[in-house]
Amino acid sequence: MSDARSGSGKERTLRLRVYVAGESPNSVTALRHLRALLTAYPSLQVDLEIVDVLKHPELGVRDRVLVTPMTIKLAPRPERRISGTLKDADALVAVLGLAEVRRE
Amino acid sequence: MMRGRKGIQYAATGIRGFDEITGGGLPAGRITVVLGSAGGGKTIFGLQTLVTGARDFGEPGVFVAFEESVDQVFENTASFLWGIDRLKDKSIAVVDANLPQSVVQGGEFDLLGLLAVLGQKVKTVGAKRVVLDGLDVLLANLGDPVLARREVFRLREWLQDSAMTAIITAKASAADVHLSPEYDFLQFMADCVVKMQHRVVGGTAERFIRVAKCRGGPHSANEFPFTIGNAGIEVGAGAATEIIHPASAARISAGVERLDAMLGGGYHRGSSTLITGSPGTAKTTLAAAFASAASHRKERTLFISFDEAPALIVRNMGSVGIALGPHVESGVLRMHSLRSRAASPEAHVAHIRELLREHRSRNLVVDPISAVGPDAEKSVAQRAAIEILDLAKSQSITGVYTSLLGNNAALTEDTPIGISTIADTWIHVSYLNQGGERNRALTIIKSRGTEHSSQVRELVLSKTGVTLADVYSAGGEVLMGTLRWEREDRERRKRHTAKRELDLRQREAALALAETQARTQTALSAQAVQEAVIERLDAEREESDEQVASQHLELRQRRGADDLRVARRRITRGLSR
Repeated sequence: MSDARSGSGKERTLRLRVYVAGESPNSVTALRHLRALLTAYPSLQVDLEIVDVLKHPELGVRDRVLVTPMTIKLAPRPERRISGTLKDADALVAVLGLAEVRRE
Repeated sequence: MMRGRKGIQYAATGIRGFDEITGGGLPAGRITVVLGSAGGGKTIFGLQTLVTGARDFGEPGVFVAFEESVDQVFENTASFLWGIDRLKDKSIAVVDANLPQSVVQGGEFDLLGLLAVLGQKVKTVGAKRVVLDGLDVLLANLGDPVLARREVFRLREWLQDSAMTAIITAKASAADVHLSPEYDFLQFMADCVVKMQHRVVGGTAERFIRVAKCRGGPHSANEFPFTIGNAGIEVGAGAATEIIHPASAARISAGVERLDAMLGGGYHRGSSTLITGSPGTAKTTLAAAFASAASHRKERTLFISFDEAPALIVRNMGSVGIALGPHVESGVLRMHSLRSRAASPEAHVAHIRELLREHRSRNLVVDPISAVGPDAEKSVAQRAAIEILDLAKSQSITGVYTSLLGNNAALTEDTPIGISTIADTWIHVSYLNQGGERNRALTIIKSRGTEHSSQVRELVLSKTGVTLADVYSAGGEVLMGTLRWEREDRERRKRHTAKRELDLRQREAALALAETQARTQTALSAQAVQEAVIERLDAEREESDEQVASQHLELRQRRGADDLRVARRRITRGLSR
C-alpha cells in the first residue's frame, strides 16, 4: 500500500488502462473526469492506455471487460478496477491509491 | 432448425418432452426468457439447448455466465452425459461475466463492453445460439432500474440484429415465478417466456415447467412436471397430444402355460399388462414368471421393484420354482430396487427411462407401479404411472405392472393408480374364502385385441412353479382349494370305478368269444377227423375189393381161364377211380 510513496521511481509510475466504447457518452465523460483528476497531481508519472473495445474486442475478452467505461489500475500493485463515468472523484482517488499523494 | 406451423422456425432444445409443448422448441432467432427460482434448473435448460444446437444441429453457441464463474457452471454440469467437454472452446464458447467484487462502481456505465466481447466470441465460433445466464445479477449490479432497463433494451436490439436464438435466464421469486417489479419489463421484451418451478407437493419435491408465452405459435400453456437426470432435463411426456404406438400381433409367453392359453397365446408383444390384487395374491409371482420366461428366450428384461431388495425377490421366487438368479448373473435380467419415497414420481420415471436405455430392455416389470408416488397427489402419481406405460409402449417394450388393489374394492375402472383404462390387459387376482381356507382366484378382466377366457381359474403355487387350475362351479358356487380337490377326487374315484367295471365286462366278453372260437375249432377238428375216417374206410373197402378180384384172377389162371384181359381191365378201372 505504501509502494506508491516509498518505492523506486519506476514503481511510482501509475499505469492505467481505460476501456471505452467508441465515442459513447459514458466513455467520453469518464475520460474527461480522469484527465481532470490527473492534472491535479503534476508530480505523478502516469502511463495511460486507452483501448476502444469496439475496435479491439479481443483485448476486452482478455481483460474480461463487460461494462464500459472500465478503468483498470495495473501498477502499482495490486490491480484495481473502477467502472463508470468516474464522476465520484473520491472513489477514483481511493481506487488509484492517491489518497496520500501530495496534491496541488 | 425446424420449420413449424405458419412458417415459424424453431430451434430444438433437445430437452425431451419440451419441444413438443411448443411444437418444435424455442422460436429461432428470437429471445426466450427463462424464469425460475434458485436451483430451478434455468442454467441447465440454457446449457442443454446450447449443447443440442452445437452437437446435433450444427449451431454453435456462446454461454455467458453472470452469476457463477464459468468453471463453476461446468463443474455443476459435468455429471450430464452431454459430451460438453468435447464441444467446449470449439463449438461452444464461454464468457466469464460475473463481475468481480473488487470492481468499484464509479458512476454510470453501459453494456457496450459486454456486447463487444460477446460479438468477438460469436464471431470466433460462428454462434447461432447464445445463453445469457443470470441476467438478474447483472441488472442488480447496474443498480439504477432506469439504467438497467435502458441497457437491457440495448442488449435486445443487439440480439435481434445478430439473429441468434437467445436464452436469457433470470431468478424469480419461488412462489409464483415472478420477477421483481422493476425487472418485469424483461418478460415483455421476450418472444417466449418459460417458467421453471420447484415446489413441495405432498412431502416430495416436484419440478414443473410452463411456457407462459410464445409469440407466433400455438403452444400448451399447461404446467408439466420435469426431472433433472443424467441426460439433463426431461419433461413429462404427458405433453404428447398424440399417441402413436406400434401395434404388434406377435405373442409372448406370460410364463404360465394355462394363462397363455387363456389369453389366446400370451401377451401381445409391446403391450402393457396390469396385474391387480390385494397383498399376497401372487402378483409379484405372476410378474416374475413373465420375467423368467422372457429371460429364457434371451430377451433383455428390466425388473423394477419398489421397496424390496432384488435378492429377496430372487429368493422368494425360487421357492415357487421360478429361478431368476441365473438370468441376473448372465445380465439378461436386470433387477433394480427403488425406494418409493426417496424421490418424486417424475424422478422415478426418469430413472426407469434411463435404466431401460442403459440396459436396452425389451421387457419391463414394475412391481408395484402403485408405489411410484405413494404420497404424491393422485394426479401426479397417476400421470407418472401412465408415463411409464407410454414410455414402454413407445419403444415396443412389453410391460407387466402390478398394482395393489384392496380385496373388497369393487372392480371399477378406478384402480388406485387409474391406469387400468390404458393398460391393454388387466388381470385381477383375488382371495376366495371357502371351507376355512383362502385360495387365489385369477380373472382376466380385459385384454385388448384378444379372444380371452372369461372364466375364473385357481392360481396354484407350488415348488415346481405356478399353475392355473380349473375351478368347479356348481349351483353358482365356485369351488377351490381343498373343496375343489375333494370334488375332483370324488369325480376321479367315480371315474375309476366305472372304468374297472368296463374292464371286467370287456374281459368277460373276450372270454366268451374265446370259448366260442374254441368250440368252433373243436367242431372243425372233429369234422376233419370224421371226414378222414370216412375216406379211410372208403379206401379200405376198395382195397379189399381188389384183393378179391385178384384172388379171382389167380384162381382162374391157375385153372387155365382165357378171359384174362377182360378181368385185368376191370381191375385197373376200379383202382384208378
